[in-house]
Amino acid sequence: MSDPVVIETADLSKAYDASTEALRGLTLQVPSGSIYGFLGKNGAGKTTTIKTLLGMVKPTGGIARVFGLDATNPQASVAIRQRAAFVSEDKDLIDSMTVDEIARFTASFFPTWRADLAQQYRQTFDLRPAQSVKQLSRGARTKLALLLALCRGAELLILDEPTSGLDPAAAEEVLQVLVRHVATEPLTIFFASHQLSEVDQIADHVGIIDRGRMAVAGALDDLRAQFRRIQVVFDGAAPTPAFRTAAVKRVRREGRVLTILTSADADAVVAEARALNPVAIDVAPVTLKDIFLESVNAEA
Amino acid sequence: MLWYKAWLDTRWPFLIGLAILVVLACGNVFEYPTTARLLPLADTLPHGTGIVGRAIDEAIQTQRDYRGFIWWQWVRQNFTQTWTLFAVLLGSGGLLVSGSKGALFTAALPASRKQLLGIRAGACMIELLVLAVVPSLLIWLLSPAVGESYSLTTALVHASCMFLAGVVFYSFAVLMSTTFHDMWRPALVTCLVAIGIGVVETVVRQMGGYGVFAVMRAETYFRSGALPWGGLLVTIAISASLFYAALLNFVQLDL
Amino acid sequence: MIFRPNPSLGVPIYLQLMEQVKHAIETGALRGGDQLPGIRPLAEELVINPNTVAKAYRELEHEGVIELRHGAGAFVANNARAKKVTDKLRTAQPVVATAVEKLRGQGLTDEEIRRLFEAELRGKGDHRE
Repeated sequence: MSDPVVIETADLSKAYDASTEALRGLTLQVPSGSIYGFLGKNGAGKTTTIKTLLGMVKPTGGIARVFGLDATNPQASVAIRQRAAFVSEDKDLIDSMTVDEIARFTASFFPTWRADLAQQYRQTFDLRPAQSVKQLSRGARTKLALLLALCRGAELLILDEPTSGLDPAAAEEVLQVLVRHVATEPLTIFFASHQLSEVDQIADHVGIIDRGRMAVAGALDDLRAQFRRIQVVFDGAAPTPAFRTAAVKRVRREGRVLTILTSADADAVVAEARALNPVAIDVAPVTLKDIFLESVNAEA
Repeated sequence: MLWYKAWLDTRWPFLIGLAILVVLACGNVFEYPTTARLLPLADTLPHGTGIVGRAIDEAIQTQRDYRGFIWWQWVRQNFTQTWTLFAVLLGSGGLLVSGSKGALFTAALPASRKQLLGIRAGACMIELLVLAVVPSLLIWLLSPAVGESYSLTTALVHASCMFLAGVVFYSFAVLMSTTFHDMWRPALVTCLVAIGIGVVETVVRQMGGYGVFAVMRAETYFRSGALPWGGLLVTIAISASLFYAALLNFVQLDL
Repeated sequence: MIFRPNPSLGVPIYLQLMEQVKHAIETGALRGGDQLPGIRPLAEELVINPNTVAKAYRELEHEGVIELRHGAGAFVANNARAKKVTDKLRTAQPVVATAVEKLRGQGLTDEEIRRLFEAELRGKGDHRE
């Protein structure tokens, strides 16, 4: 069975108390089979969103669905967690167990457990069965957490900062495992990150959350193709026009130069700019980093 | 394997509690000969008047025979106090301590909150039953070693009453742990409540058969062979309500 | 390996891959009939999304540059259509080379040159002062 959308939220809100609003009407869709990078500053609401999807946190408003099931319903939530795997930011595991024990413990919940994969990953990751989880290094913990997530036959993998605290080699290893897994199994990956480079590398969809709301979302290739920075140079002081093109995100004026960031319709913006009789017009592509920085620093 | 995890999470308090209770039980049995020799001397002291004097008199009178001695020293004090302490410790802590290792991992498993709390409670109850029964059986087994006999029935009655009534403190601790998300506040609050109840019961002697601690030490059974059915029913009902409230809390909790 | 897309550029990775494949064909590093790496192994090696590789291959097939043979893999196309594309590119290449040389001679940096071309393409041929 394959829904086109694996995760969807509509106007999701969560206020922990009167003064802490973690989510303020978040709307997102994660297509089936995609690798979705969920970007945002620290405290923007990434972890709260993930916890809501997994039934760890109850939202104060809006809708959250995974596999078409209501994430706020306790029974549905159990069904969701049967098919989705989670690795927390701190790589939370049961410290009092050994590698072997925690593998058997996890396997006991999943009839779809892949013992062959577990064996393979244990060797690839160099995890010895009798090792105590408590004594594992950060890198080893991440790999163990990944093993436990990947071997349960899940259709959805939710990761919170998967490579945090890892050196570049270990980080690349993690990404490689994810890429290999997504190529062989029917899997959707939803990962929260503030490492733009890894999102650039493996994600095909992106959502940027800012202060509890979605600022920018879409297929990464589309964003790369549509976002443009247009620099307009004037002879004298630059004017401050209002651009009619709706996709214009930001206009900055510095002396004789206007810098326009637009999320689409660059041609229309260029046409509008020409009408102002500039000396030169430059159109440049925008990196994900630029899109991110513009989106999270924009005034509300 | 949630049962195994519950065991891993609670085995240290359980084992330590068991060790302490075993040592105390043995200690009580083996100190009887000494006490038996000293007690007649107390008769030569002037009888006390006033509350303290009357209390001392009562202590001396009750401990004249072995059964009374065991009830006074072991059941009334060591057993009740230690067992209650460990009931409180086992009830505090667990998944509910947010930020505790394994909390998010466990919460991400396809198990409902009811299951998580229920299985942990089940494991703790079994442990509490063992903590009540083992030292009681030990008293029965060891009494011949000091030349006395202690009835198996009496031992089991005391174990049962301790467990069935005392579980109210466990349930209260669990409820507290769903309200305060750390290890120490639930334990502290529950201990304070327990001490408070103890003080009230001592001061207001009319509580007699219905005070929680009175039921736990099966006072009416000791004095007249009457099992405290009423008290047991009431405390069990209270435990069930407290536990149900804890469950409702836990299902709503943000982790 | 001849393919090395840079994820941090503002250009979609699949386009970069397509360009690199075409460039490889032009320079002769890849010839008609040569097999391209499989989607999975290539994605794993470059540590990029397999969908990205798949998209690049699909577009290349659409343009006739490569052939996707069911069950066998991706192969550089042998036929005239592909050749025509590469021929077109081959004759265009010196034009671009000359322009770039000239602009470099005028003191422009590569980044400036690139932006001029982008803007020109965006401007749909309108002249600007």
